[in-house]
Amino acid sequence: MSKTKELARHKRDRTWMWIQLLPVMLVLTVLFGGALVLGVAQSLGFAPWFGVNTFPDFSYFGALWGDSFFWRSLGLTLYYAIAATLISLVMGVLLALALVRSFPSKSLYKYLYKLPLMIPYTVGIALAVIMLGNGGMLSRLMAFAGFIDDPSQFPQILKTHMGWGIIAVYVWKQTPFVALTIYAVLLGVGRETEEAAAILGANKRQVFFQVTLPQILPGIISSTLIIFAFNIGAFEAPFILGGGFPDTLPVVAWRYFNDADYTLQLQGMATVVSIALVAGVILYSYLAFYRRYERRIGRH
Amino acid sequence: MTAVQLKGVRKDFGGFTAISNIDLDIRSGELVALLGPSGCGKTTTLRMIAGLEVPSDGQILFDGKDVSEVAVQKRNVGMVFQRYALFPHMTVEKNVAFGLKVRGTDKAEIEQRLEDILDVVQLQQFRHRFPAQLSGGQMQRVAIARTLITNPSVLMMDEPLANLDTKLRGEMRRFIRDLQQRLGITTIFVTHDQIEAMELADRVAVIFDGKLAQYDAPDALYKRPGSIDIADFMGATNVFEAMIRGKTATAPFGSLAFATDATDGPAHVMLRGEAIDLHLAEPPETQNQIRGRVSAREFFGANITYTVACGDAQIQVIEQSRRMVDLDQEVWLTIPPDRIWIIQN
Ligand SMILES: Nc1ncnc2c1ncn2[C@@H]1O[C@H](COP(=O)(O)OP(=O)(O)O)[C@@H](O)[C@H]1O
Ligand SMILES: [Mg+2]
Repeated sequence: MSKTKELARHKRDRTWMWIQLLPVMLVLTVLFGGALVLGVAQSLGFAPWFGVNTFPDFSYFGALWGDSFFWRSLGLTLYYAIAATLISLVMGVLLALALVRSFPSKSLYKYLYKLPLMIPYTVGIALAVIMLGNGGMLSRLMAFAGFIDDPSQFPQILKTHMGWGIIAVYVWKQTPFVALTIYAVLLGVGRETEEAAAILGANKRQVFFQVTLPQILPGIISSTLIIFAFNIGAFEAPFILGGGFPDTLPVVAWRYFNDADYTLQLQGMATVVSIALVAGVILYSYLAFYRRYERRIGRH
Repeated sequence: MTAVQLKGVRKDFGGFTAISNIDLDIRSGELVALLGPSGCGKTTTLRMIAGLEVPSDGQILFDGKDVSEVAVQKRNVGMVFQRYALFPHMTVEKNVAFGLKVRGTDKAEIEQRLEDILDVVQLQQFRHRFPAQLSGGQMQRVAIARTLITNPSVLMMDEPLANLDTKLRGEMRRFIRDLQQRLGITTIFVTHDQIEAMELADRVAVIFDGKLAQYDAPDALYKRPGSIDIADFMGATNVFEAMIRGKTATAPFGSLAFATDATDGPAHVMLRGEAIDLHLAEPPETQNQIRGRVSAREFFGANITYTVACGDAQIQVIEQSRRMVDLDQEVWLTIPPDRIWIIQN
């Protein structure tokens, strides 16, 4: 076949490929990209359906970012998200490490730990209310066992800005997720490199930090990205279990959207865009940091 | 240099017995092959010596001292895994230096020994590569270097040649043999290939079904297998039922005089194909003469294998390819009495 003919065929193949991809691209562009563009436009004052069109208008962001409550909300949002992510990560990795070793009734545990993954968030939140609230199961049990005189003396776990309840629900749900991800990665990695390291004289800590961890790092990175992105945008848990004003940013946005004054919708959209910006910056730096690490050890 | 001893070692995995009872004496500086079919327990035996598995029963001794309580990290053994188990996130250099680094050896010494060992395994030019960028033979040499740099008292290799192509296999075989002779390190290697075991090892331990079947020097194992199974595994083809009386074995194709000791009664007689002479005319010596007809011929380049039908029996004769005997030709076989082996059990 001559070169030009082959080139033409190659071009035809590519065109055909793009045509096949078109429906998916269209859906993605309209649903995702379109919504994003519209959201940003709206936060900048473009909402003719409300009779508002002052585009481009940075006053919504100005008002939002100029207020100290926004920064306190942001702080809370980040605190819950980061704390829950870190705790889930450590517990999930430990759980996964335990699961690749053999121990009695392992198959039972392998089912048990996945349970929270199948239970909806709202049920988890309800469980937290029943278990951790004042007058909840835990407080009654403590009172019954004589640790405290009365269930009301039980320390406040829910509805405080320490956010123990919120973090507990996130951790309860996300530890199994991390464990599942890392467990799969560990199965792929196998035990042999760990065994080789041990024979070469490495102790348990050296084996973990120098052999196991670097090999499961990609799994750790991807699972933290997913749970952190979820945590920073999650709404139900902080809404129900949070300590009230100042709320986390998703709750703030929700309040704006539900305000009788519909022009506050634009303020709400500015809040949403702010969340996206913060999340984006954090996730991007995290990835960039990881890439730099990979380059440093020479993998890329 | 360390002598290794297994005394009544047994290993159960749950209800399954992988090793039922193994006694093995490996002298200091010896090169021993564990030979057996897949699944017979070779890897498990190595893993117990390394300390990765704990024997369910029995003892493992290094230089006469029980090492049951000695942790993997402290046994100072070396192991080259079947699939090498290189650290994929480390360069060749870092892989090789790992053992010294975790032991806290000082930098200058690590540097020195790294250079030495990279020279030995000829990996200098690949030192900055990752395992994924190496060929099978190179990965294997990294695995060997990574182990040798720690000066292990026992070196173990699990199927070191199984994953290499034929040409590389020969090269690696010589490399391992030379290295072992130069360093004099007690070495145990696993293989399921009897040729490889015989070529490399000082002694071969044949393992069947978690039991030590025979432990002998290669030529003894080849010429004097202890059972039909071992004979079969060592590639023997001419094994026939026979009746022993005095120094005569009566087989389907006739009577044979033999030199070895045997008790009267039923047994098997084994004739090594290369020990049989094939004559085109009736030879003058009448002892151990078998008459037959060539029924098949296989040409292997340097050798030819003839199958000779002697009555109901088919006897295989291996001869150098100096001539070609025609099919259907009438022939006379002779075999010296001292090349006949009797298997009794
Ligand atoms: N961790 C284990 N759990 C259960 N069975 C095992 C385990 N390791 C090995 N076995 C079994 O023990 C037998 C011997 O295995 P192995 O030592 O790997 O054989 P080989 O190396 O000779 O091929 C096999 O039947 C194998 O299935
Ligand atoms: Mg094996």
